[in-house]
Order: sequence, then structure tokens, then C-alpha cells
Amino acid sequence: MFYRLAGQFKSSYAADQQIFPIRQDRTFIAGVLIVAFGVIPLVANDYWLGAILIPFLILALAALGLNILTGYTGQLSLGTAGFMAVGAFAAFNFMLRVPGMPFLVAIALAGVTAALIGVVFGLPSVRIKGFYLAVATLAAQFFIEWVLTKFGWFSNYNPSGVISAQAIEIAGYRFDTAVSKYLLTLGIVAAMALAAKNLARTQTGRYWMAVRDMDLAAEVTGIDIVRTKLVAFAVSSFYCGVAGALWAYAYLGAVEPQAFTLDRSFQVLFMIIIGGVGTVLGAFLGAAFIVLLPIALNVGAHAFFPGVSTDLMSNLELVIFGGLIIFFLAVEPHGLARLWQIGKEKLRLWPFPH
Amino acid sequence: MDLNFFFEVLIGGLLAGIMYSLVAIGFVLIYKASGVFNFAQGAMVFFAALTYVSLVERGWPFWLALAAVLGVMIALGFAIERVVLRPLVNQPQITLFMVTIGLAYFLEGVAQGVWGAQVHALEIGIQDKPFNFAGVSVSQFDLFASGTAALLVLVLAVFFQKTKTGRALRAVADDHQAALSVGIQLKYVWAIVWAAAGFVALVAGLLWGARTGVQFALTFTALKALPVLILGGFESIPGAIVGGLIIGATEKLAEVYIGSSIGLNIGTGMENWFPYMLALVFLLVRPEGLFGEKRIERI
Amino acid sequence: MDQSTFAARLTFHDPIETMEVDFSNFTFAEPALVDAFYDHIDQRVAATGRRWYFLVLYEGCEIAPEAWERFAARGKHANISYGLGTVRVHPSERTRETIRSRAERETFRANIFDTRDQAMFALGEMRKRREIIGAGTADAYLRVHDIHLNFGGVKALTGVSFQVNRGEITSIIGPNGAGKTSMINVISGFYRPTRGRIFFDGADRTHLPAHKVARLGFARTFQNIALFKGMTTLDNIMAGRRFRHNLLTDALYLGPARKEELRQRAEVEKIIDFLEIQAIRKKPVGRLPYGLQKRVELARALAAEPKVLLLDEPMAGMNVEEKEDMARFILDVNDQWGTTIILIEHDMGVVMDISNHVVVLDHGAKIAEGTPAEVRADPVVIRAYLGVAH
Repeated sequence: MFYRLAGQFKSSYAADQQIFPIRQDRTFIAGVLIVAFGVIPLVANDYWLGAILIPFLILALAALGLNILTGYTGQLSLGTAGFMAVGAFAAFNFMLRVPGMPFLVAIALAGVTAALIGVVFGLPSVRIKGFYLAVATLAAQFFIEWVLTKFGWFSNYNPSGVISAQAIEIAGYRFDTAVSKYLLTLGIVAAMALAAKNLARTQTGRYWMAVRDMDLAAEVTGIDIVRTKLVAFAVSSFYCGVAGALWAYAYLGAVEPQAFTLDRSFQVLFMIIIGGVGTVLGAFLGAAFIVLLPIALNVGAHAFFPGVSTDLMSNLELVIFGGLIIFFLAVEPHGLARLWQIGKEKLRLWPFPH
Repeated sequence: MDLNFFFEVLIGGLLAGIMYSLVAIGFVLIYKASGVFNFAQGAMVFFAALTYVSLVERGWPFWLALAAVLGVMIALGFAIERVVLRPLVNQPQITLFMVTIGLAYFLEGVAQGVWGAQVHALEIGIQDKPFNFAGVSVSQFDLFASGTAALLVLVLAVFFQKTKTGRALRAVADDHQAALSVGIQLKYVWAIVWAAAGFVALVAGLLWGARTGVQFALTFTALKALPVLILGGFESIPGAIVGGLIIGATEKLAEVYIGSSIGLNIGTGMENWFPYMLALVFLLVRPEGLFGEKRIERI
Repeated sequence: MDQSTFAARLTFHDPIETMEVDFSNFTFAEPALVDAFYDHIDQRVAATGRRWYFLVLYEGCEIAPEAWERFAARGKHANISYGLGTVRVHPSERTRETIRSRAERETFRANIFDTRDQAMFALGEMRKRREIIGAGTADAYLRVHDIHLNFGGVKALTGVSFQVNRGEITSIIGPNGAGKTSMINVISGFYRPTRGRIFFDGADRTHLPAHKVARLGFARTFQNIALFKGMTTLDNIMAGRRFRHNLLTDALYLGPARKEELRQRAEVEKIIDFLEIQAIRKKPVGRLPYGLQKRVELARALAAEPKVLLLDEPMAGMNVEEKEDMARFILDVNDQWGTTIILIEHDMGVVMDISNHVVVLDHGAKIAEGTPAEVRADPVVIRAYLGVAH
């Protein structure tokens, strides 16, 4: 009953092609944005902002990036963390070595650097498909990790390879509180999420999905699949690069290559599987799930079993994540986003039976 | 160039490669029969080794522990088939691959949760003493491992070629529908295959564990099996051996020779990515591997 | 017999597209001699890459009875492969009778004349008639010449040549495995022919890859539906359009991307109206029934505004009503937009009804070509494909 579409008909193509054509959706998104930008900064404490919401947003951004490559274009990638690392280290070096480099420009350049590396490692996708491509992305992951660790230049010869993020300053204003960092991250992530949604609903997105669904047919329809794949790699790596840069600057403050290992790549992959491949909403739902689950587990376990060891908790996490992946892929391969969709459709009728 | 040293590095590498092959054989078995790339093979190796070592540490005699672990692995195989694979019968390869990633995490969590996360030492009676052969120093242990691997390959080859079950496995690998239509029970075949892979995982786990100690990192050595398989071909057991040898050898050689030549102590850590780059080159040049079958796509 | 003897007996009159074959005072004593002569003719013609009218001089020509079958078969093959029409001059009584009775049985024109001048006059009339009808000129819209396609040891196509004229509906028929889909795949650039050439609108386009061929103006549908199953009908069809877009404008959406999206949407809606699939616009195509999926595939092909439309069994698996609908759509496309259509189809009724021109393949080779009526009556086609009544 709450989600009825009756009375909402579109009388122009423009109205039909809006980003949120259903009125209830528009209201919902508006509500979310108001809460995110207006309410949360006022009520949330530093712990929630700095340790939960900011990493959630950044990982959601990385998940958006991986989604573009794996969800929309169907190219499985296990190198997400590697591209994040490129972004982080590139941003650090741009800020360090270019005097007077504005922060936002550094972030953008970090993304572009990651995008270029992404295109290079995406070249094999022209000839290799499916999960063989995953091996190529593994090569990227391990190689990038090694280069950044091995060649001290990248971390400015820091003995442990750690890069310390410089202070964030935009137009004279310092972003050094949890609230300011949160709002900055939120702004960047929201803008890039909007861009992702736009890309998905225009011809760029259609070409990606065509390559995913049947690349031979796409070729015969006149789509240049080499170009489409490489653009997907570039955009995806751009998103991951920006995420990596934000991870260093807005979240941890100091980061080493070990923050971007294969485990992190799997973490982001799990996000999009659980959240729902091929949807923007899915990236956010998946990131929320993966960020919040360990906390929920911890709180829950300590509430019921005080004194439980952290070892056991971390193993339990592995078990639950692994189990959930299997569950979602078997039962609802389109993840939480699909469950969300089903929920909305049920809301059309509820509380009436039919 | 010191020829003796070169041979030492080469042989050391080859023998290390055999260890990779052992893990890779498990992959091949499952891929051959069900078309699934079982990312959880490494976790299975770890699981088997950890269970064995924990039983032995609790005082179980060697043979009993071995039998128990074998039983557990077979049961695990059946369980995986029933719970994980059957609901996903018709899904694309990528989905199945991702499911095995989830399975890997699951198994690791269970194994460590049950037995604890410390590193365990594993003794199987063979010392890692060097063995001098024509001026070249070779590890006795590595030789034993190679012997085991050779024996395993022989047993598997006989199994696949000569027995009825082996033939059924090959039929299923070729075409599930056709196998069904001649009366082959898919679920038994798959369960057997996963159990066999579990057995191979046990052997690999024991050897690896004896070499490097049983620890969590074992699961990541499984990743090395990927380049091995790409070089050798996913459906070929001899390919797994050859691939393993090549990866092991080139890895060590690259580390020692390329590393030191550029000076910078570049060598260390090269083995992390060198095999994957090699695999990447292979994928571009000969995607089906040295011994694999070519796939032609028809529209 | 050496080649120069044969060569001396062939003359190509370029301006009147005629090849003069001088069989006068030549004795075909045995089948091997027939083959040798015709092999030479085949080679010479292949080198020109064109079709020719035949002016055959029979005065004093003797054909041994055991060589007759071979002679008739080779002559027929020559006509089908590269002939535009034949006139024959002054055969002997016995030869004349044989030719006449065969002509009646196999429905071709005997075209026998007593003198060379009479023959040339008839030839001129033939050419004039052809020009008026506009069919089968040497200047065809799409021409495939001597196409060979090998896969390892399998010969999918052997020496297939035919042409498709602008604005016509040409059907390719033949039993399963004849090479029809392979031929379409070659035409759409998906397979590279092992040998042979493809000419489109006069230009050689043999070696173009598939997506460039698509941009030249070719669109196709597939035997097993090749829709993008994860997208809606509307998205599938939009994917077939040529957009003016780039990454940055798309990411921004407002502005040039939005204008282009709306413009293309309006065009796509015309096609949706034309094929009557408005109701399923927003449905994911994976859920549609088979018949509708085929229609959506046709819509996507039309979205590219193609010059040549290749349809691979568009009516497979449809019932009578659906077939009639599809046939109507195909005819409408041909009528309203003047699209040249090449059709693979098994339903003979449909082929006879809507095609202007039919090419028959069997075991990778062309065995007949002509109007639907000609092909239907051709005994070789009947034996290979249509079935003999008994």
C-alpha cells in the first residue's frame, strides 16, 4: 500500500528516464541525503564517524568501482586492493612532490593514475575471459604490492614503507575533525555514486552490460568491445584509486602497502556479491553489511558470551562470511539489492493480501 | 657462472615446484569432473593438515590419525557436494568460482576455530637433510616429495583410465547431460571426485606442513596453483606436474638471478608475482596451457 | 590437350559482358576432355571476378554419348555460377535435339540460333530486358565471390558465389549443415573466409572485422537468440543505436547526454511501434516468450538503420500466426525502408512468398540460384532438399 505506483504515469520520455522515476523512491533518497548530510554530523560521535561511517563510505566507493568492472561489464577482478594502493600512494606523492598541489586535484590525479594502471592490466581482457582474467588481475595485485613495498621512492624512503597523509586543506579550510572528514568523504562518494548511476543508465552502461551478457553479439551489433572493456577498467580503477586515496587521507592517516592486500580485494568482492552485483544500491548495502557485521558480532557475542576470545571472533567472522557468500550465491545471486526490490514490491500490497 | 650453484637453484626450484603440483592435482581432479575451479583446495589442504597435526598432538597414533583425517576429508567432500554444489548446478563458471572462495573462507574459519590458530610443526619421519649428488646438494625431503607426487600421479592415471568410476568421471567432465542420459549418477561422481581431491589435499597438506609448518599461510600457497594450472592446462594431471616444475624452477631462478643482477636486492619477493606474470603471458599466447584442450566458441 | 588450345577458343567481349566460347569443330571424345576445357573456362572467368553472357558456337562440334552427362553438368554449373544467359549457334541435328529435350525437362531456354548474327541480336534483347528489370546486373549491391571456409579439416563452404541486389529479399536455403549460417557469418564479418572475396557497393570488404562490418550498414539476427539477457527490451534496442556520446558527458548526464538519450529514445520508440512491442518495453528480455524475443532481436537489428539485414531463421520455432506476423514485418521493412534483406529460412512457403531471389546451398556449395519458381522446379534442388514426391 505504501509503494503503490497508481497515479504515477509518465507523459514524456524525459519523465520516464529520470534517475528515480518512482515518487516514493525520490522521497526515500531525499530522506537519506538529509539524514546523511544534515542529521548524522550533529548526532553521531567521533567513534561512529571515524571508525564506522567513513570506512563504510570509502569501501562503498571501492565496491562501486569493482561493480562497474565485474557487475556491469562482467570482468572478474581480484586486483581491487592493488588499484586502491596505487591511488593512495599516488595521492601521497602528488601532494608531497608538487608544491601547492590542491587536495582535490591530487585525489583526482590519484584516480587518473590508478585508471592508467588499470587500463594496462586490463589489456589482457581483450583476449582472456571469465575467470582466467581473474588470474591476470591477481598478477596486478601482487605486482603492485611488490613494487610499492620494494621501491622506497613511493613511500619517500620510509623504513617501514608507511606513507603519512598530509593534512587536508581545501580553499584554506582544514579538514581535521572527524565531522569534517566525514562530510568531505560523503560529498565525494555521493557525487561519484551519482556519476556511476548516470553511467549505468546511458549508452556507456549499456555497452558494458552488452559485453557482459554476450560479447560476440555485442561485436556484431557494432559495439567496439575492446574499447568498452578498457573504459570499464579505467573507470573502475579510477573509483578504486580515489577510494584508496581517501582511505589514506580521510580514514587511517597513515597507510602501508599491507593495508591493500588480496584480503581487501576479496573483501570488496564479497561486498558486491552480498550487496548485489550490477546495482549501485548493492555496493552500499554490501559495504554496510561487511563493515557492520563484525561489530554486530562482537557486540552480540560479548553480550551473550562475555570473555569470548578475539581469536574465536575472527574465526567466526570467516565462517560467517564464507557461509553467507555461499548462501547468497546459491539462494539469491542478486544479493541484498534484489531482496530490497522484492521488499518494495511486497510493500505495494501490504497490508492487503492481494 | 657457478654451474653447481645454478643446478642447485634449478633443482631446488623444480622440487619446490613438485609441491605446487601436488596442490594443483587436486584442482585438476575437481575441474575435470565438475568444471568447477575449486578455490577452496588450499583451504582443504590446510584443513587436512591442521586436523592431522592436532590429532597427533593429542596423542593419536600416526595411522589412526591418518585414517581419521581421510575419513573426514571424504565426508567433507560429500558434504560440499550436497550443500554447496547441488543448488548451483547450472550456474556459470564464475559464480561457482566465487562460491568456492566463500567455501575457502568458511573452511579456514572452521579449521582454526576448532583447532586453534597457532603454527604447528609436522613430523612425518623424513628429515630435511641435504643429500649430495655429483657435487650438487639436494634435499632428501624434496626427493621424497617428488616420489610421492609421482606415485600419486600413477595411481590417479590408473584410476581414470582403467576403472569404471574413472571412466564415469571422464564422461561427466565432458558433458553432464550426456553422462546423465547414460545413467551415470552425477551426485555420486561429484562426491567421489571431491573426496579424491580431499585425499590429494591430505597428501599435499602433510608434505607442505612438514616442510613449512602448518599455518594459515598455507591457504595462500594454493593461489600459486593457479599459474601452475594455466601453464599446464586445467584438465591435465601431467600438465599440473609440468606446470608446477616450470613455475617452481622459474620462480627460484628469477629470484636469484634477475634479482641479483639488477643489484638493488630486488630478488626478494619476486616469487610473489613472477608466476602470475608468467601465467599472464601464457594466457595471451596459449590460453589452453601446454596440455589442455582448446575451446572454440560458436555463435 | 594444352591450355593454349582452350585459350584460343575463349574471347571476352567486355563492353557487352559476353564471353564467346568456340566449340566449333571440336570433338569431346571423353568426359576428361570436357572437364579439361571447362576447368580452363572456370579459371579464366574466376580471374575476372564477374558474371558473363555466353555465346557458344557449336558448328561442327561433336559430343560423344559417354561425354554428354559431363558436358551438360559442367555447362549447367557454369551457368549457375557465373552465367547471365546463354545463346547457342548452329549445333548439329543430334546436339540440337538433345539440348532441346533437356531444356524442356530442366526449364532453361535452349536459345538455339542458326547464325552468329541472330544469336547476337537475341543476346542484345536479353541484355535490354535485364536492364529494365534491373535484376542481376554485374553491378550488384553485395557480391560474394568464390568463398571458401575451412575449419581445420572441415570444409564449411566451397567456392560459393552469388550476388544480392539492392532492395531485394534474397533467401538462402538448403538442408541442415549446408553452410547457410556459416555464409551469413562470413557476410557479417564474424568469420574470415579462407579464400574468396566480398564486395559491398562496389568496394572490396573481405577483411573487415565484425564491428566494422556492422558500422558499414550490416545488421543481423541469430539462430539462437543473442539478446542481452540482463537488460530490458528498451535497453537492448538502444544498445543497437549509434550514439554521439563520451564518458564525461554520460557521467554528468544533464546536458548533451540527456539530449542524446531522449533523441535516441524517440527513434527507438518508432521501431517499437512498428514491431508492436510497446507492452514489453521495460521487461527484462530473459523473461520474454521465444516469439517475442525474436521480435526484440529484429528490433535491435533495425535500430542500427542497416542497409543490409541478415536474418538467420527468424521464424524458427514459431507457430503459423507468429510466422505470418514476422513475414509481414519483414516485408514491411523491405517496403518502407528499402532495406536489402538476406534470409535463411526452412519454411518453403515463406521463402516462396516473400523472396525475390533464392540461393540454394548443399554441403557447402551452391547448387542452384534463381527466382523462387525456378528453384522450386529445379530437380537438383528437389533431390537434395525439397524431396521427391512418391
